[in-house]
Amino acid sequence: MRILNFSVNGVPRTVHLEEGRVMLSDVLRDYLGLTGTKIGCGVGQCGACTVIMDKKAVTSCTVPAEKAEGKSVFTIEGLADGGKLNPIQEAFVEAGAVQCGFCTPGLVMRLFALFSENPEADDETIEEELNKHLCRCTGYETILEAARLSRSKMIARAKPS
Amino acid sequence: MKQRYVGQKVQRVDAVNKVVGRACYVADISLPRMLHAKVVRAGIPHGKILQIDTIEAEKMPGMKKIVTGKGCEMLFGTCLWDQPPIAVDKVRHAGEAVAVVLADTVNQAEAAAKAVKVQYEKLPFVLDPVEAAAPGAPVIHEKNGSYRRVEYSVHPIPGTNVFHHYKLRKGNSSVARAESDVIDVIVEEEFEFPLSNHVALEPHGAICRFGLDGEIEIWASNQAPFVLRDVLADMFKVPASRVRVHIPYLGGGFGGKSDVSIEPMVAYAASFVPGYAVKLVLTRKEVFTSSLLGRGMKGKMRIGAKKDGTFTFLEAEMYFADGAYGDTSWPVDTVAGHNCTGPYEFGNVTVDVYGVYTNSPPVGAYRGYGHPEGQFMSGRLIDMLAKRLGMPTGEIMRKNFLSEGRQNALGQVIKKSHGNLAACLDAVEKAIDETPLPENDDRYLYGKGVAAMMKSPKMAANAASCCTMQVNADGCVFVNLAGIEMGQGVQTVFTQMVAEVLQIPMEKIKVYTDVDTQFSPWEWQTVASMQTYRGGRAIQDAALRIIELAKDTAAKVWNCEPGMVLYREGELIHPNTEGKLTLGVLARGYMSFNGLTVGSPLIATGWYRVPGLTDPDPETGMGNAAGSWTFGCQACTLRVDRQTGEVKILHFASAFDVGKVVNPVTARGQVAGGVVQGLGAALMEKIVFKEDGTIKNVNFPAYKIPRLKDAPKKQTIVLLETPNDEGPWSAKPMAEHPIVAVAAVVLNALYDATGVEFTALPVTQDKILEALRKKEEAL
Repeated sequence: MRILNFSVNGVPRTVHLEEGRVMLSDVLRDYLGLTGTKIGCGVGQCGACTVIMDKKAVTSCTVPAEKAEGKSVFTIEGLADGGKLNPIQEAFVEAGAVQCGFCTPGLVMRLFALFSENPEADDETIEEELNKHLCRCTGYETILEAARLSRSKMIARAKPS
Repeated sequence: MKQRYVGQKVQRVDAVNKVVGRACYVADISLPRMLHAKVVRAGIPHGKILQIDTIEAEKMPGMKKIVTGKGCEMLFGTCLWDQPPIAVDKVRHAGEAVAVVLADTVNQAEAAAKAVKVQYEKLPFVLDPVEAAAPGAPVIHEKNGSYRRVEYSVHPIPGTNVFHHYKLRKGNSSVARAESDVIDVIVEEEFEFPLSNHVALEPHGAICRFGLDGEIEIWASNQAPFVLRDVLADMFKVPASRVRVHIPYLGGGFGGKSDVSIEPMVAYAASFVPGYAVKLVLTRKEVFTSSLLGRGMKGKMRIGAKKDGTFTFLEAEMYFADGAYGDTSWPVDTVAGHNCTGPYEFGNVTVDVYGVYTNSPPVGAYRGYGHPEGQFMSGRLIDMLAKRLGMPTGEIMRKNFLSEGRQNALGQVIKKSHGNLAACLDAVEKAIDETPLPENDDRYLYGKGVAAMMKSPKMAANAASCCTMQVNADGCVFVNLAGIEMGQGVQTVFTQMVAEVLQIPMEKIKVYTDVDTQFSPWEWQTVASMQTYRGGRAIQDAALRIIELAKDTAAKVWNCEPGMVLYREGELIHPNTEGKLTLGVLARGYMSFNGLTVGSPLIATGWYRVPGLTDPDPETGMGNAAGSWTFGCQACTLRVDRQTGEVKILHFASAFDVGKVVNPVTARGQVAGGVVQGLGAALMEKIVFKEDGTIKNVNFPAYKIPRLKDAPKKQTIVLLETPNDEGPWSAKPMAEHPIVAVAAVVLNALYDATGVEFTALPVTQDKILEALRKKEEAL
């Protein structure tokens, strides 16, 4: 039996992994019940499973569970602090960027990683990051709008009022 | 009267749960005593099953049960019962289920599934629909023609692979063709719209549990819970009331979840382990190989016109590679036929559509439902015709548009209220012409294209939506329907509509989230862009009944005629005394100071069915078979890179006459998303088979769908609102529509840019490069 020790949304977790291939996405969803992380393709191409591991956005369906040992992982469930939406989540709601919602958590986490590192990321950088994701519903225009709105919200929040 | 909620940009009611990851999809559900399923797939496109050896697999850790089709005599279906839940004696496509392995974990089930050994006698296979329909083709269903079916609508040709032949005969096209003057023009061409996948981001899933008491319960990613319920009841020979279907949120559907697909197999497997829940979530690969595909049309069309551009006749033949089973595709074939004219009047129409068994996954509904396939042909041919006549494409379109008093191919007469095509065309032409195209240069070629579309909802003639509405003692309202929320925003527009009729704030209204056949009122199914339109009418009906009930009770309290009681903003008002009673006070009947209570609790059921529908006549294919239409036009400008063949859509303009925009944000979202999905079909997407008959591109990026950078640089979206008596506040179907004309628009623009007439989709970079090279060589 393999044992995985890591932190999820700031809480230390210990997980006993079953035999065979177990991915970080499986650990989050099946072992820890954090089903906000979605699996759309299983090969890291659609981005629905994106979470943050040691401050970097990763596709959790391509990260073997062992690779998370000792790491700090953030998921969509960890984002709404104290029951309040994160500015990126607010932006997705306000921009009408949510349709079926299956790609949404991954996109939100991708942008959270981006703006945490680079709060004033330019449009080109934003587009580069969003291009790692697939969405079949929106045609992307509202997602791009939500990303830009997220940026201004994050900047506004960072500034002392 | 000005609306306060209908027509407003209100926030989606499901948005918060979706951005925090709380919205529940089928894969997120776990049940007690749950086994995980893995499916052994055929891996060959056609063959007899000789032996299934499960001895090694049975010994694997965690293994609970291996289910095969041995002895299974069930066939399921809704109108054509031709499919077993799992392969019995032969496999008809490479993704077909041969065995289902049930184990404690997914990994254990997968390991055991790999240990199942199946021996086949391979049979010749056929993938091309024209070849499959020809004499001498491998026979895929020996029993074609003798399966149980709805005989009025499904027309097989026994002894062939053609399980459905739809024919449309209006006027006499051969006479019209023979009478063509030498100066008249006839254009004809062959077209291909290949098999494609819907690619909803959420893969299909189902969890089924057979109770020891004989109850069947299933959770599924499905757009048609009541159809699924009835299919399972029919399969297992139990009353439908003993089957309970739960539908959580769907992560996109696009029709790919509207038909019954994997659920019968999961239920069949679960029936062997009563007391356990059995869960299967498809891998992305399985979505491609083993759910449902869309399109798959090869066809030819011929259009005749007078020198002035007036259409005289249309003739078409379409062959659909409908895959191993036909129940989910025959109505697509019919609709493809009766709508292939596009929104134009033709006095003479001859169309033959053949639904053909092929050794590929079954075809089902896919956004647009046959319309994109058929109207791809007419949309392109009309552009070719315009070039031949030396007229602008828009001029020919305008001349022949369906409009008041004109007759469509089904023989239905168009009313003004059906929509304004000319205004749609004006809108897209204006949008596109605002930015003049640059001149071609050494690097880029530029072009623009236009096409029109129409879509009718295909539905069972008895299809209806029902709504129950219940007022609570604090005046808030609970509303229940069974329209599936799959991203289109149905829960939000329903909330707006209830607010509008009852004149109360949206905060006081709670619409259903999950659909559960035990509690939800009956609904035909969430397809054909019908929820806003049909569900909305059911809401209006229910809400008006609530008001009537409240008026009755108020009249009892005031000892007056119900007809004189007024209703305003959640209150009943006595016109003379100005006395007021709130909906909340009347919610459980009116209780006086001593407890004596009069009047009915405020609970009501409303419903709506599009009236007067019939199935098409078996001989002529005509009749009142289309419940309504939504008309629209689309146009684009694009740029082709001569060196790479890359196409960039510079500006895509869409205009639809939707009657009424209920929510501008969600309505625009449908169009913007539909256009991009259509661009995928036009430029990227195609299911490709290997020599051995298995699918080659079973995941991303081998199967490429549009990403952000593939989207148009700019989209203009105009929604016109021609008043009509059909939809609630005039709102008509509009969700599938944005995809219908896209391929024709883009290929017309590609012709404008390159001078090459592309007729087969998708037009990939490689195809463009090759065509440009050939053109240069020819110079």
